[in-house]
Amino acid sequence: MLGPMGRLAPLRGYVAALAAVTLVTLAIGAIETRTHVANISMLYLMAVLGAATLLGRGPAITASFTSFLAFNWFFVEPIHTLSVGDPKEWFALVLFLVTAVITSQLAADLRDRAREAVDRARDATLMFEIARVLGEPDLKTALAAVAERLRSGLRVAGVVIELEDNGSPHRTIAGDAAALDRAEIGSLAGWIPSPRSATGPGARWIRVVDPRGASTSPRDERVHAVPLRSGARRIGTLAIIRASSRVDAANDRILTAVATQLAGAIERSRLRQDATDAEILRRTDELKSALLGAVSHDLRTPLASIVASAGSLRQTDVQWTAAERESFLADIENEARRLSRIVSNLLDLSRMESGTLHPERSWYDLAALIDDVVGRLRPLTHDHPVDVRVPEDLPPISLDYVEIDQVLSNLLENAARHTRSGTTIVISAAIDGSDVVVEVSDDGPGVPKDALDRVFEPFFRGPSGGTPRGTGLGLAVARGLVEAHGGHISVRNRAEGGAAFRFTLPLEQPSRTRIVATPL
Amino acid sequence: MRPATGARILLVDDEPAIVRAVRANLGSRGFRVDVAESGREALERVELHPDLILLDLGLPDLDGLDLIRALHSRARAPIIVLSARGAERDKVRALDLGADDYLTKPFGVEELLARIRVALRHTLRSVTDEPVFRTRGLTVDIEHRRVTVDGEELHLTPTEYALLTALVRHADRVVTDAMLLQEVWGPEYGDEDHYLHVYVARLRKKLERDPQKPRYIATEPGIGYRLLTEEA
Repeated sequence: MLGPMGRLAPLRGYVAALAAVTLVTLAIGAIETRTHVANISMLYLMAVLGAATLLGRGPAITASFTSFLAFNWFFVEPIHTLSVGDPKEWFALVLFLVTAVITSQLAADLRDRAREAVDRARDATLMFEIARVLGEPDLKTALAAVAERLRSGLRVAGVVIELEDNGSPHRTIAGDAAALDRAEIGSLAGWIPSPRSATGPGARWIRVVDPRGASTSPRDERVHAVPLRSGARRIGTLAIIRASSRVDAANDRILTAVATQLAGAIERSRLRQDATDAEILRRTDELKSALLGAVSHDLRTPLASIVASAGSLRQTDVQWTAAERESFLADIENEARRLSRIVSNLLDLSRMESGTLHPERSWYDLAALIDDVVGRLRPLTHDHPVDVRVPEDLPPISLDYVEIDQVLSNLLENAARHTRSGTTIVISAAIDGSDVVVEVSDDGPGVPKDALDRVFEPFFRGPSGGTPRGTGLGLAVARGLVEAHGGHISVRNRAEGGAAFRFTLPLEQPSRTRIVATPL
Repeated sequence: MRPATGARILLVDDEPAIVRAVRANLGSRGFRVDVAESGREALERVELHPDLILLDLGLPDLDGLDLIRALHSRARAPIIVLSARGAERDKVRALDLGADDYLTKPFGVEELLARIRVALRHTLRSVTDEPVFRTRGLTVDIEHRRVTVDGEELHLTPTEYALLTALVRHADRVVTDAMLLQEVWGPEYGDEDHYLHVYVARLRKKLERDPQKPRYIATEPGIGYRLLTEEA
C-alpha cells in the first residue's frame, strides 16, 4: 500500500509476475540442455513465492498458473503441446499447481499480516501523537498540530478540519491549501450526508471537479471527508485531500478514529470555554450589582451636597455672610472633586475588568516616585507626618509611572483616612529576593480580622473613623494595578498596632548594559 | 493681572458649560474669546489669527490629533490641549505633534490662566537666547556652563546638564519624554529611554532641597517634566 511496491499500478504486479515466470523458464531451459534434474519444476515455486510476498495474491496465483502452463508447454513430453503423455507426469503437474496455489495463498496471507502490523503500528503511533497534541490547552493550536500530524502521518496532500461555530465555519488547514483553493471547495458540511440519511461510517469520497468545469483535473485530486460528531450533533468535518485517487481502507479507519478523538477534544474545549464564560459573567454580574449600589449611594451623596449648596447660594430671600457663601462654594468644589475621583476609579476598575489595562513600563527611580506622591498628597495627609524610608542604593524599577503613582496614592490616602490625626505614616521600600517591596504602614486601629481578606474587593468598606469617606474603590484599583505589573498586594496587622499594606513589583535587571558606556 | 495685549483666544470645545465658564473668566480678564464648537468650525476660525488655541481633544466631528496637525499648519498660535484624565497617551501624542501644553479636565481657573500666561509669554519670546537663565535661586549660565542653586555651584554630569538646559529652553511648559530624549541624545537615541527618568531623578536630587516639594522640576505623571519658574 504505502511501500514502494504498493505504489505500482496493479497491472504492473501481474507483468512482474509473468516476467519472473519467464526468467525461471529460461533458467530451467538452460539447465535441462546440460543435465536432467528431478522435480526441476520446483524452481517455479521461487517465482510464485516471490510474487506472493512482493506483489500480492493476484500476481502469485497468476504466476502459479502460468508456471504450470509454461512447464507443461516447454518441458513435459510431448513438448510444445499442452497434452501430457505420461500419467505420472500429469499427477506431478497437478501436484505442482496445488502446491503453488497454496504457497501463494500462505505467503500472501503472511504478507498481508505483516503489512497490517506495520500499518497498525503506524496508526497507533499516529493516534498517540494526535492524542498528545490534543492535550494542548489552546484548541486552535491543537487543531493545527493535529492537521499537520495527520498530513505527514498519512502522507496526503492536505488535511482540513472545519468547525461549525454558529453557522460560520472555522477552518484549520495543513499542507496543500492551494489544492483546496483550486478546487473551490465551499463548505465541507454539504458533502456529508446528514446523520439521518447516513449509512455506514458516514464518510464518502468526493470527486473534486476542476473549477473550469472539466470533469477531471490533471492530478485527479480527491477529498475524503468524515463528520465530527458530538452525540447526534454535527460539530464539524475532518477531510483529507489526496494526490492519488486510490481508496484506502486503513486511512478510512484512522480518519474515523481521529474524528472521534477530535470531536471529544473540541467538545471538552467548548465546555471549558462555557465554564470560563459563565465565571466571567458571574463576576461581571457581581461587579455590576456592586456598581449599581455604589452609583445609587456613593455618587448621589456628593451630588446631593452640590445641589444643596448651589441651591442655597441662589436663594434670594436669605442674606448669606461672606463666610457662609465661601463654605457653600468650598463644598461644591470639594464634592465635585470627590465625584471626579470616584469616576476615575470606576473607569480604572472597568478597564481592569475588561482586561484593557496594559502597563507602559519604563525604568524609574522609586524614591523619586514616592517623594512625588507624598508631596502631591500633602493636602490630604497634612495631619500626619509621613516618614519615607528608601535605601539609597535601590536600583531603578520597571513600572508604569501613572499606575504605580495611583497605587501609592490610594494606599497613602487610605492610611490617612483611617488613622487619627497626628499619627505617623511610614512608607518604606526594600529589596526582597527578586522583588522590591513597598510598604505603607500606619498607627491606626488596624483592619478587623474578618475584613483582612475583603479589603481589596470593590466597594468594600471598613469601619469609618469619622474621617472623609473614600470611594470604596481605592484598594481594589490598587490591587488591579499591582497585579497588572506582575506584583502582589496584601495587608496585615502589625504586632505593634496599625495596618501595613504592602505590594511587590518584580525586580527585573535591565537586560541591556549600555548605560555603563554612557557618560553620566 | 490684566494682559495689555488683549490676546485673542480661540476656544474649541462643544461643552456649553465649559465654554460659558472659560469665556466668562477669560473675558473678564481682558482676553478676546472666539468659540468653535466643532473641528470644522475651528478650521474656519483659525483664519482670524488667534494668539492662542484652547483645544478639546474629544470633538464629535474630527479626530483631535488630526485637528492639531491641521491647526498647526495654518496658524503659529500655541495650542493648549484640554482632555480627560486617563487619556495620557493622547496627550503625549498631542504634545509631540506640536501642542504646547495640556490641561486635564476638570481643571481650575487658576491653572488655566497660568497655562495661558506661559504659552503667550513663549510666543513673545520664542527662545531663551539670553546667556543666563535665572529663576528663584536657580541660575543656569549657558555661556560658562555653570549651574548654581542659591549661590552654590552644582557639579552636573554632561547628561544632567543637557537635561537641565533642555528643560530651561521650555521653561514652564511641559516637555514630553520623547522631546527630552530628542534634545539630549538627538534623533538616534537608543536605550537611553530606559534610563531617562533615572537621569532626571539624579538631576533633581542635586537640584532640589526638599524632594517632596520640588521647586524647579515637576513631574507630569505619564507625560514628562516641567521646569517651574514660579512657586507652585
